Amino acid sequence: MLSLALRRLLSTVPTLLIVTLLVFAMVKLLPGDPARLILGQEATPQALAELRESLGLNRPLPTQYFSWLGDLLHFNLGVSLTDHSSVSALILQKLPVTMELAVFAMLISLTIALPAGIFSALRRGSWVDQFLTLFALSGISLPNFFLGILLIYLFSIKLAWIPASGYTSLLENPGRNLLLLVLPAITLGVNAAAVLTRYLRASLSETLTQDYVRTAHAKGISGARVTTKHALRNALIPFLTVFGLQLGGLLGGTVITEQIFSIPGFGRLMVDAVFTRDLPVIQGVVLVSAVAVFVVSFLVDLSYAAVDPRVRYH
Amino acid sequence: MRKTLILLSLALLSAAAAETLTVGLDADPPKLDPALSSALVDRQVMNQIFDKLVDLDQNLKIVPDIATSWKVSNGGLTYTFKIRTGVKFHDGTALDAAAVKYSLDRNMTLEGSVRKNELSSVKDVKVIDPTTVQINLKQPYGPLLGVLTDRAGMIVSPKAAEKAGQDFQNNPVGSGPFEFTSRKRQDNITLTANTSYWGGAPKIDKLVYRPFADGDVRYANLLSGAVQVITPFDPKDLSKIESNPKFTALNFPGLGFQGIWFNVTRAPFNNKAFRQAVAATIDRDAVVKVIMNGTATPAAGPFAPGTPAFSTAIKVPKPDLARAKQKLGGKPLTFTLLTAPGALSAQSAQLYQAMFAQAGINAKIEQVEFGTLLDRADKHDFDALMLGWSGRPDPDGNIYDFFVTGGSNNQAGYSNKTVDSLLAKARAQSAMSARVATYNVALATILDDAPYAWVYAPNTLVGLSKNVTGLKPIPDGILRFKDVDLK
Repeated sequence: MLSLALRRLLSTVPTLLIVTLLVFAMVKLLPGDPARLILGQEATPQALAELRESLGLNRPLPTQYFSWLGDLLHFNLGVSLTDHSSVSALILQKLPVTMELAVFAMLISLTIALPAGIFSALRRGSWVDQFLTLFALSGISLPNFFLGILLIYLFSIKLAWIPASGYTSLLENPGRNLLLLVLPAITLGVNAAAVLTRYLRASLSETLTQDYVRTAHAKGISGARVTTKHALRNALIPFLTVFGLQLGGLLGGTVITEQIFSIPGFGRLMVDAVFTRDLPVIQGVVLVSAVAVFVVSFLVDLSYAAVDPRVRYH
Repeated sequence: MRKTLILLSLALLSAAAAETLTVGLDADPPKLDPALSSALVDRQVMNQIFDKLVDLDQNLKIVPDIATSWKVSNGGLTYTFKIRTGVKFHDGTALDAAAVKYSLDRNMTLEGSVRKNELSSVKDVKVIDPTTVQINLKQPYGPLLGVLTDRAGMIVSPKAAEKAGQDFQNNPVGSGPFEFTSRKRQDNITLTANTSYWGGAPKIDKLVYRPFADGDVRYANLLSGAVQVITPFDPKDLSKIESNPKFTALNFPGLGFQGIWFNVTRAPFNNKAFRQAVAATIDRDAVVKVIMNGTATPAAGPFAPGTPAFSTAIKVPKPDLARAKQKLGGKPLTFTLLTAPGALSAQSAQLYQAMFAQAGINAKIEQVEFGTLLDRADKHDFDALMLGWSGRPDPDGNIYDFFVTGGSNNQAGYSNKTVDSLLAKARAQSAMSARVATYNVALATILDDAPYAWVYAPNTLVGLSKNVTGLKPIPDGILRFKDVDLK
């Protein structure tokens, strides 16, 4: 298990290096001049030239890349062009907010997907299964922004139960924190729940037709025990992959959800940075998201090994 | 013990009674530093934190603020200001003539200052005595007072600005009715009432600004009560807010304009007849009615109705397809119309496209985001592009940089010697009537050359809860909260 973990970690080093190169290239390919956006419509040509010089935008690209990479090795992501605050501090301030939202959304999606997927697989073709299939299809097709606005309309404006937007930290006021995160977490979680339900249903249905399940039944083991002890464990392996992918994709989903619910998280930081061409912030955010996806897939790999003994012996 | 208890409960009571007003803005203000700010939305917040040398009233008259009076002498080259006494910055230091000089000098010299252009005619600033400041100009510049009603005239605490350096934008210290308390990027900016404000303490205790980029989300937050004021709201929401008994809509003329630039430096619009043809197809009434839901005025020039340089001599033209076809002279015209994203821009672009098509002009719409739009405008890399202006109280701020040769806002690449000299002449004149006459002559040439087609002057749209009182509509669109109360 340890050697598997080490091997996986080592293999990410060259990949991460390629990622830094891609991030840098991508940011440089973005149209628009950061100096122009900082100075706005009133900028004079002299002021623009001065600012470009002081931001180092006139230096050759390889110099810019290697100086950024050198700073990265010291965990220095640079300073924001917009307000001169440290990029690492900004990310550290925003990331926990988004992670809390993502975890909350994942819990919601698992709470829905696990029972719904299992029930659908066990009662294939029943009206409940058909209803759950309909739910899953709508969940997959409903865009985030639409569902979000729908929830605000219903729960904030019509019923006035939940504030329409905002964020309070968990430490400051746990009750209000949860209240404010309910709607965004549902917005994010419903889509993941729908996808996960479909996968669990498919994978569990297939497992339930396997010979060993029939054998288990023949030995007189109770239906519930066969499902949970024998079939579900095997059915969870493909489910885990999808779960990992969903978790990685969640970061993308938060961009829209955070805009709608005005949550000061990682996604909004990213959008604002792109709109203001805040290059150091864009580079920092994209790099951290890439690392986050690596971490998630690494954890998924390890959990495979925990669930499926065959993986450990490879 | 008993005394402590009484004091404690009194403190609790007053805490409970603390009035907080929350305002929804359309963007997160990037820089709260008068020298560095280049976004309109910054001004909403900075106006509460900083006092300015002079201010604007509802009728666009320049009124005293930190300067109690002023005198123009030496043929318009010297402005002498009397400074209000007994004013203190939020950090406790005194606001005097030296602080005024410091702020103006800072605006003219700080690295990255966006104010340099506005103050380029200033030769030097002199402290005569602790309550008198003199601004000396290189040449007469009529717009100076107008410029000082905005960021260029905001007075910063020299001590705080020195101490914070580049970080002043995140810790602004002024002498205004509200004091900066905290900001969480993309979440909120919180200000607290300055109880020892020279003009009397504000009626509300706390002022919180929150950004909502999406118009529907901003409106939903007003409806749900999460915010009590939103600025601006989308024109489509006007009737919904007006018909809701819980809310009021302020809908008043602003200072800005919207329209279309034509790139005169390359084909097809280096051909004047083509520019005139396209301009002749525009039905301004239809745009105002369909796109702006009536919340704008059709425009033919850069000066909004109600502003001092507005002149009825400049008539808003009706669409004239016969003239357009005659100007085309049977030649085909195809071009790309560049626009920024957003529902209003997209809808306007489509409407324009349909109007051009009536004269047989074929326009393709290309949408790029705002940074790219500005960048391509600078490089004159476009055929036609939709870009407006938020407007300035002095007419010079709406015309000079836009049409003078090499001006920083001259997106068309337009150059006309007659216009250059007329715009310079208007700048040096002090009587508004004389300036308006000069502008009208310049505009006659500009309108004929058609580097820009003005379409409409948008209104300022503010939505508020019924319990918000005392908010005065000032044409610059900046909301002043000193006298605002929650009933």
